[in-house]
Amino acid sequence: MGTVLTVRDLCKGDILKSIGFEIQEGEMIALMGPSGSGKSTLLYNVSGMDQADGGEVRLGGIEIVGLREDEKARLRLNQMGFVFQQMNVLANLNIIDNIVLPAVHAKKKQRRELYKRARALMDGFHIGDLAERRVHEVSGGQLQRACICRSMMMEPEILFADEPTGALNQAAAMDVMEAFLQINRAGTSILMATHDSKNAGVCERILYILDGEIKGELKLGKYTRDDAKEREKKTLRWLDEMGW
Amino acid sequence: MKKRLIVNDLQANKLVAVSTCIFMAASAMLLGLSILLFGSLSSSIDCLMETAQTPDFLQMHAGEIDEEELALFSEERGDVEAMQVCRFLNLQNSQLSIGGKSLIDNMQDNGLCCQNHSFDFLIDAENKRIQPDPGEVYVPVCYKREYGIQTGDVMQIGLQELGVAGFLRDSQMNSMMASSKRFLVNQADYERMRPLGHEEYLIEFKLREGSDTNAFSTAYEDAGLPGNGPTITYPLVKMMNALSDGMMILVILLVSAVVLFISMLCIRYIILTQLEKDKREIGLLKAVGISKRDVRSLYFSKYLLLSVFGCLVGVIAALIAAEPLGAQMRELYGEAGHMDLIYPLMILGSLAAEGIILLSVYRTLGKMEKMSVVRALYGQGNYGKKKNLYLPIGIITASAVFMILVPWNIQSTIAAPGFVTYMGIGESQVRIDIRQTEAVEEKAKAAAREIEQDALVRDYALMHTGSYKTVLPDGTAYNLMIENGDHGRFPVRYLEGSHPDSRDEIAVSILNSKEMNVHVGDTIRVYPDLGDNHAGPVSCTVCGIYSDVTNGGKTAKACLAGYEDQTPVMWSVIYLSLEDDRLAGAWVEAYRTKYSSHDDGIKAATIADYIRGTYGQTIRNIQKAAVVSAASACLILFVVTLLLLRLAIWRERSDSSLKKALGFTSADIKEAYVKKTFQYVLPGIAVGCFAGIVPGQSLAGALLGSMGAYGFHFIINPIAVFVVAPVAIAAAAALATWASLKEVGRIRAYECLGARTGND
Repeated sequence: MGTVLTVRDLCKGDILKSIGFEIQEGEMIALMGPSGSGKSTLLYNVSGMDQADGGEVRLGGIEIVGLREDEKARLRLNQMGFVFQQMNVLANLNIIDNIVLPAVHAKKKQRRELYKRARALMDGFHIGDLAERRVHEVSGGQLQRACICRSMMMEPEILFADEPTGALNQAAAMDVMEAFLQINRAGTSILMATHDSKNAGVCERILYILDGEIKGELKLGKYTRDDAKEREKKTLRWLDEMGW
Repeated sequence: MKKRLIVNDLQANKLVAVSTCIFMAASAMLLGLSILLFGSLSSSIDCLMETAQTPDFLQMHAGEIDEEELALFSEERGDVEAMQVCRFLNLQNSQLSIGGKSLIDNMQDNGLCCQNHSFDFLIDAENKRIQPDPGEVYVPVCYKREYGIQTGDVMQIGLQELGVAGFLRDSQMNSMMASSKRFLVNQADYERMRPLGHEEYLIEFKLREGSDTNAFSTAYEDAGLPGNGPTITYPLVKMMNALSDGMMILVILLVSAVVLFISMLCIRYIILTQLEKDKREIGLLKAVGISKRDVRSLYFSKYLLLSVFGCLVGVIAALIAAEPLGAQMRELYGEAGHMDLIYPLMILGSLAAEGIILLSVYRTLGKMEKMSVVRALYGQGNYGKKKNLYLPIGIITASAVFMILVPWNIQSTIAAPGFVTYMGIGESQVRIDIRQTEAVEEKAKAAAREIEQDALVRDYALMHTGSYKTVLPDGTAYNLMIENGDHGRFPVRYLEGSHPDSRDEIAVSILNSKEMNVHVGDTIRVYPDLGDNHAGPVSCTVCGIYSDVTNGGKTAKACLAGYEDQTPVMWSVIYLSLEDDRLAGAWVEAYRTKYSSHDDGIKAATIADYIRGTYGQTIRNIQKAAVVSAASACLILFVVTLLLLRLAIWRERSDSSLKKALGFTSADIKEAYVKKTFQYVLPGIAVGCFAGIVPGQSLAGALLGSMGAYGFHFIINPIAVFVVAPVAIAAAAALATWASLKEVGRIRAYECLGARTGND
């Protein structure tokens, strides 16, 4: 198993202080910590959306920190996927057009092929019948699953998720997490910032951040439906120890 | 995808799209229209002057001439290509009537002439040389509209009759600013009418290409050739032809510059507000890997599409507007040539307007590149300082008032009696011209004696003009046309210094001061004709400089008369004021009946009629431009206020919703919007009034300087400036405010409780 993402001595103002960790191929990692601990900042600096002050971030063989804005954008387009808490979509496009948007921009495949793939992804996440709907005509959970489809269109090496269920009710959140597991099982690495111990419990590892530093790590191993309850308990205990 | 994004965005923001398009179309239209009209005017005049073969130098002369002497002069000079002497039968206006309408009020020297053989042709509507048949007369086209003349009307000259066979274009005398008008008749008719008028000569020269007209003019005068009358040169003819319509075009150009500024300002605000609204979406596009350049290009494409549409609409609107605005131009000067060049130039002008706007759009869109992805994603930060949407309403109100006032003020200034003082004419109520007749001086003095006895006359001044030899400070000899008399009674406006008071003072026109290179304080030696008493020259100090468009603009004013000066008087003018200025019209009427109807050399007119006759065309054209300008200003302000208030309401929707939740009514919220809007509209009106008068005056001064009226001050119509324009503008703003505030009623109290994208 190769390393997908390597982070070393990553710094950003007072928020991130010499952070270091690695993500292996097919791994699903949760970032936990109280509000203001630096989870989202870490995600944005690792993905090149924000400019780190120092340190090293390697995606595959490419060092991200020193890249120009356009090069980072190209990298995000081709090798990374994103899912945000706010379910950011373009209000002027319907659901399927929102999903294919980055892939169409990348111009790597024919448009027909892209729509076919988008439909397949939507079917996989049980929103196949919403393709032509406007964004305000679907529920939050459905919209977030559409965002996951969009993030998967370019078959990224890694998917970043920032509180993906934060704005959803419990049922919708479960659907979304199911979608993440489905992606991860297919081999895509995931780094997810979350407040929810249940979500964190399905990940292989949990990194605990406090005041811009990784204070601890919990290894849970691959998730199976059978040990879900046990994992959640273990997670809660560990978080308790960490002062959560 | 890009197409779908743009189309969906345009559909979702129809008002913004339509407003942007209107601004782009208005800018393209006005700039295109200015170029189209200017190109057409310039080309029509060139075409007319080329077809008619306008002479380079023309000397009008009342009196005897020696044609052999003239022929010898022209043969000796290498720069003369052709010379001809045309006869002009000056008729008394009181004898003339066309279609039953008398020309007695007409200020022009009207007369008959025959078609020329070598050059200076009089041409018809199709630009063909006219050869009238016996009994036919061709009337100057400028009279067609003024007197409502039609082909087939009868022209009466005393008891003789001629049938109006059509209208003629006279490349030299088309403009009402030219003081003579030629009616074309058959040779036989001319001879038949000869006893009815007073024959004058037009001594015309066509010079070789590249010849110096000024040098020729000096040589002509130095040779002592006939010169009892005004001199007209090719550039002066061209200027007079261009002025009446040119002023209107300059006003449109001025308006187009203001509209372009307004468009750029508004579109900038629209974009910044749009970017503010789309902040998260822009952040998302960047987050998913679309480069900032591509995001900018996506937005830019939308404005590019709008500008293509705006340009198309603008060009079509310019073509439509050019029809009525160019009607008089076409009538006077004929169809323009080189339209194959003018149309592309017009399109280029419209494209340039779009280009300037798009450049500003591109620069404004650059702001989105500066915001980080994360801040945009979370709706944090602003594209620069958060824009006050009411400020542009204030700025545009001021610009709209300015747009209305400048053309109005130009028009009221030209139409005011005092305007003549900028043109070299004393401010009086009545002007009597004694010229192109025999014994000018005696007749003028006799007329002055009569006037002195007239109980209705409060004051008068008699001026005699003659040609004097002078020596300039640098020793150069110069022939100067000097008007002698009491210049303190009805003074003209002096740009520098004041009027001459004594024999050793002289004031010169600005054109002369430039050509002679003299300034106030310099000394010129003037040689009056003292007969046998050779007392030598008079040293005159330049005491003042004034602007003048009369008699070719090269004049001077002094007080040499009455000092044994025997210099022949070329023409005389009497200015007078009456005890009751309301009687000016009646006084002139009575004077005409008593004197001038019996003498073709004496013409009396009120100054108001003189202005109407000379600048009527120009005033009418500026009036047209003023109407277009005022309508555009009100429309633009309406659209801008509607748009920006809608944007403000959209931006403050959540606050308004909260207010409603807290118990405010729609009326309370609307009232606040009205107050805020008019907090900017009212100062905008005040600033616009000030700008329309003070900087507007400098701008208009530059325009009128091209007419020869230098040192210009607005003569404003206070009701128009301080009542009509502010009320019109306030009404446009109020209407737009009322229309946009309807949206406030649609805001619901629960909206502030949380808006989200999905529906659960």
